[in-house]
Amino acid sequence: MSSLNYIFKRLLLMVPTFFLVMVIIFMLVRMLPGDPAIAMAGDRASDADIQAIRERLGLTEPMLVQFWLFLSNTVQGDLGRSILMRTDVIDVIADRLPITVFLTVYSVVLSLLIAGPLAFVAALNRGRWPDAVIRTIFQIGLSMPVFYIGLVLLTFLAAQLRLFPVGGYGDTFGEKLYHLFLPSVTVALYTSAIIMRNLRSAIIEVLDAEYVQFARAKGLPSRLILGRHVLRNALISTVTLLGLSIGNLMSGTLVTETVFAVPGMGRLMLEAIFARDYPLIQGLTLTFAVLVSLVFLMTDLFQSRLDPRMRLQ
Amino acid sequence: MSDVAFSSDRPSFVRKALRKPGLVAGMLIIGFSILLAIFPGLFAPYDPNAIDYNAIRQPPSWSHPFGTDLLGRDSLSRVIWAYQVNMQMAVLGTVFALVTGVIIGALVGYYRGIADMIFGRIVDAVITFPFLVLVIAVVAVLGPGLVNMYIAISVVYWVYYARLMRAEVIAQMGNDYAAAGVVMGYSDRRIIFRHLLPNAITPVIVYWMTDMALVILLGSSLGYLGLGAQPPQAEWGVLIAEGRNFISTAWWLSLMPGLAIVLTGLGFSLLGDGLADLLRPRG
Amino acid sequence: MHLKSVLGLVVASSLAMPALAQERGGTLNFARYDGSRLIDPIYADRNPDIWMVGSLFDTLLRGSADGNSVEPGLAETFSVSDDGKTVSLTLREGVLFADGSSMSGEDAVFSLDRARNPDLSPWAGLLGSIDSVSADGNAVTISLKDADPTILSMLATFNTAVVSKAAYDAAPGDTDQDKSAAIFASTSAGVGSGPFYLCGFEQGASMDFCANEHYWRMGADGKPLPYLEGVHFEIIPDDATRILSLQAGEVDAAEFIPFSRVAELEADPNINMQLYPSTRIIYSPINTRDTRADGSPNPLADARVRKALNYGTNKDALIGVVLHGAGQPMSSPLMAKATQYASDLSPLYSYDMDKAKALISEAGLEPGTEVTLTTLAGSADDATIFAALQQMWAPLGIELVVEQVDGATRGAKNRSGEFDIHTYGWVNDVNDPSQVVGWLGYTPTAKAVGTGWENAEFNTLFEEAAKEMDPEARKAKFAKMQDLYAEAAPLLFMYETPFAVALGSAVEGYVQTPLGNNIFDEATVSR
Repeated sequence: MSSLNYIFKRLLLMVPTFFLVMVIIFMLVRMLPGDPAIAMAGDRASDADIQAIRERLGLTEPMLVQFWLFLSNTVQGDLGRSILMRTDVIDVIADRLPITVFLTVYSVVLSLLIAGPLAFVAALNRGRWPDAVIRTIFQIGLSMPVFYIGLVLLTFLAAQLRLFPVGGYGDTFGEKLYHLFLPSVTVALYTSAIIMRNLRSAIIEVLDAEYVQFARAKGLPSRLILGRHVLRNALISTVTLLGLSIGNLMSGTLVTETVFAVPGMGRLMLEAIFARDYPLIQGLTLTFAVLVSLVFLMTDLFQSRLDPRMRLQ
Repeated sequence: MSDVAFSSDRPSFVRKALRKPGLVAGMLIIGFSILLAIFPGLFAPYDPNAIDYNAIRQPPSWSHPFGTDLLGRDSLSRVIWAYQVNMQMAVLGTVFALVTGVIIGALVGYYRGIADMIFGRIVDAVITFPFLVLVIAVVAVLGPGLVNMYIAISVVYWVYYARLMRAEVIAQMGNDYAAAGVVMGYSDRRIIFRHLLPNAITPVIVYWMTDMALVILLGSSLGYLGLGAQPPQAEWGVLIAEGRNFISTAWWLSLMPGLAIVLTGLGFSLLGDGLADLLRPRG
Repeated sequence: MHLKSVLGLVVASSLAMPALAQERGGTLNFARYDGSRLIDPIYADRNPDIWMVGSLFDTLLRGSADGNSVEPGLAETFSVSDDGKTVSLTLREGVLFADGSSMSGEDAVFSLDRARNPDLSPWAGLLGSIDSVSADGNAVTISLKDADPTILSMLATFNTAVVSKAAYDAAPGDTDQDKSAAIFASTSAGVGSGPFYLCGFEQGASMDFCANEHYWRMGADGKPLPYLEGVHFEIIPDDATRILSLQAGEVDAAEFIPFSRVAELEADPNINMQLYPSTRIIYSPINTRDTRADGSPNPLADARVRKALNYGTNKDALIGVVLHGAGQPMSSPLMAKATQYASDLSPLYSYDMDKAKALISEAGLEPGTEVTLTTLAGSADDATIFAALQQMWAPLGIELVVEQVDGATRGAKNRSGEFDIHTYGWVNDVNDPSQVVGWLGYTPTAKAVGTGWENAEFNTLFEEAAKEMDPEARKAKFAKMQDLYAEAAPLLFMYETPFAVALGSAVEGYVQTPLGNNIFDEATVSR
């Protein structure tokens, strides 16, 4: 099957997925206690005021009508108007999305920089002390709650040693790298532990594989073996893992962004849930689903490029 | 289930296991954690909820090795009693997902066809759905509390087990014994549950170990957001959240439960890695 | 004040300069717990919006420093006719909006008509007595349907602030809401005449105020206020991070400091920890309906049980563990001490376990009765309050269980009556007791904060007080209402708390008023 055909088929398969996501989120937000009118009008508004707001927001329409509107507007690229922000959901998301994407990509890059070399060291010293030390340290990183380790980093590295800023996220690329370093490291502590583990066993698997043993026996220099076989195999498994965990990674920014006062999608989602901002919650969820699906697709394409055994099907 | 899989080579299995220091350390940590979780009253020096207005936020001392909290409660006792909640979380937060996921995964992996198609779409929808949002929303709908948190987590997590199981079953189907089973006219149920499942379950069990540590972390995050364990119940995430305002003045409040999480996570992970090493087919 | 800047001013200015030299310029960086969404006098409905209105807009009158009377604001003179039905005001000559356009009576009429339009403003009810507003040049006349003792206070309240009619006429949009949002989004001068104008806004992240060079009020140095060039707001929702940001010197001020951190920050030589007196009261509504929402009998319907809970609550201990001493028990059942006409009934239900037990047995309450306290999820204060109350009420045979919910759920439960007791708080928006008393006790407003409490005498007194022009007679009516309310105890009366704001040592002159308004008019920052 050609790649174009494959991509087309995959995109087609996303349609029912997105439909399902829309159904779930639509029903879920409406099951939440309270509604946007109550959240918007505030505790002091009268019941009549709230009823008026409900009518203005179209919440008094039958559920099916509301869902149809949501569906048809979304298909036309209109995610509605945020009740909380009083602007179009699309604009709000366009504002916040780049920050979260930057944070996610940054932490993935940091994770790779941390985990990559150490995974090699651990794998090559399998069973000996460097392996044990590296694995234990990463395990600790994996077990630390973000809202705690984040604050510890802020307290010591930012507030006391003044190495990094506590808040803000910068304007230029360089500033962003500097401002978002601590939040990214916090996420990376966790991600790198997962990558390290996976990478270590991928490398070990290759080293144990018959064809590598054979290459070694043939006297090929081990640098060449590492470069040709190990690196490629390691890359495939890491990309697969990253692709699969991208959803969790982006979900995780919800807490990180709150602790570090980064105005990204995660924090926005939390605010939207608390305000029962139906259009915003729906829009954010859908954006999230689209992003994650595209990452999945790219991962699969990348995989099939690198690994001839992986056929597109 | 593990009995079926491992019974044939049990003696050598135990001996092999004991030769792995990581696995032994993991078993010791988790064993002790389970002990603390079942008998917290035996180990905790004080009633974890006893308020003492005259002993507020005291630093660690001989009478209170982990200090006291904002209400003068003994922090050590609260960390120990939290073992009960957090270990329960690790088990109950995963076991329903594990069982449902394994059964569904095995069935769709075996039968494929239209059920597999539908399964694929459900998996995609759940995986592409922002996970914490789903959990937060479900908890908000059902009301906060541990049981509802387990429900919320299970609603999402079963998919991961099912996917893993499905892939394993499909791989196992290629093996001769499955084909032999079909030839011999065994019932589907027998092939799935007596032959495929025991052989395919290993990666799932290994994943389960890691998952238990992750669920403790997730439960803590929800505790930080106020959606997990309910006060006055002590839970590590809640304890850390309570103490995080005092990192520079009363560091013990957040550090001690933080260490408990790290240690337990380490235990589960060593156990998982050890099991993986032990069970992974060689060659 | 730095010697350098004093010298600079002396050299730069003429001899006519007043004796007091004034630090000027600079931007104050302010860390907030939550962001504004729309700062418009009539649409501001959340505290982070309401409390900023005064920086961008001006009201016709201004509250006096003690909060008990009004002073001239945009209106230089004001008078109320003998029958109390006409208010005449004269606008100050030459007041300009921040973009330099001039203000006239037309703008005041436009603003008041907007503010009292129930289709637009959630606050319109506060201006229900107004029949019509007209202007002739700078003279503004307000005709009332009935005499209204609160009208002057209302003209000093954020929702009657004057906006530029021209700005609204020119703004794109079909409805007033759209126009308001467009004006806010354009972040430009021209809509208000306050000391600042909005010059930058990033939703959920930051906000900038720039000095309005046309502002009419004068500073100590004889030049127009404000002293600052601008204020930059950062939104940092996490308490611990907000404080770290101040300690790292990234911001000059951080608001909503948790009370558990106050002592630590007071000890910090680089930080000036301020506790501004407020009208904030913390209380918990008790469901007084005969049955619970699920139809089961409600043990709290008996006033004796509610009183027992109040007697059985050790407020000093609560203030100790929740506020770390930075607060005081409520002394009036209906309002903060600082509110006009507050009765001092202290000690209001001082801790008395014997009395509490006697009331419980008199009411015949079953031991082991389960009562649910609904609290805010994620609130450390609420978790502490619950743990303390659970212990305090155990001797009364009450088994207190917790239900943690988010704000929207709590609001919905308050409306539907699906709760036993829930935590709550209040800050006055208006410099008059009628608003808070209406909220807490007058049944038609909000079913007495959702408690379902209804007392005909109370309601009549409230309606009479709304028309009573004689201050003494009005005060007597409010006193009677407070007695009735204390006796019925529809609330768990808890405590009053100040506003805790931590300032860097460079900041002077910043004030948060008892109503919560953030006032940067006379703030300075020395770099």
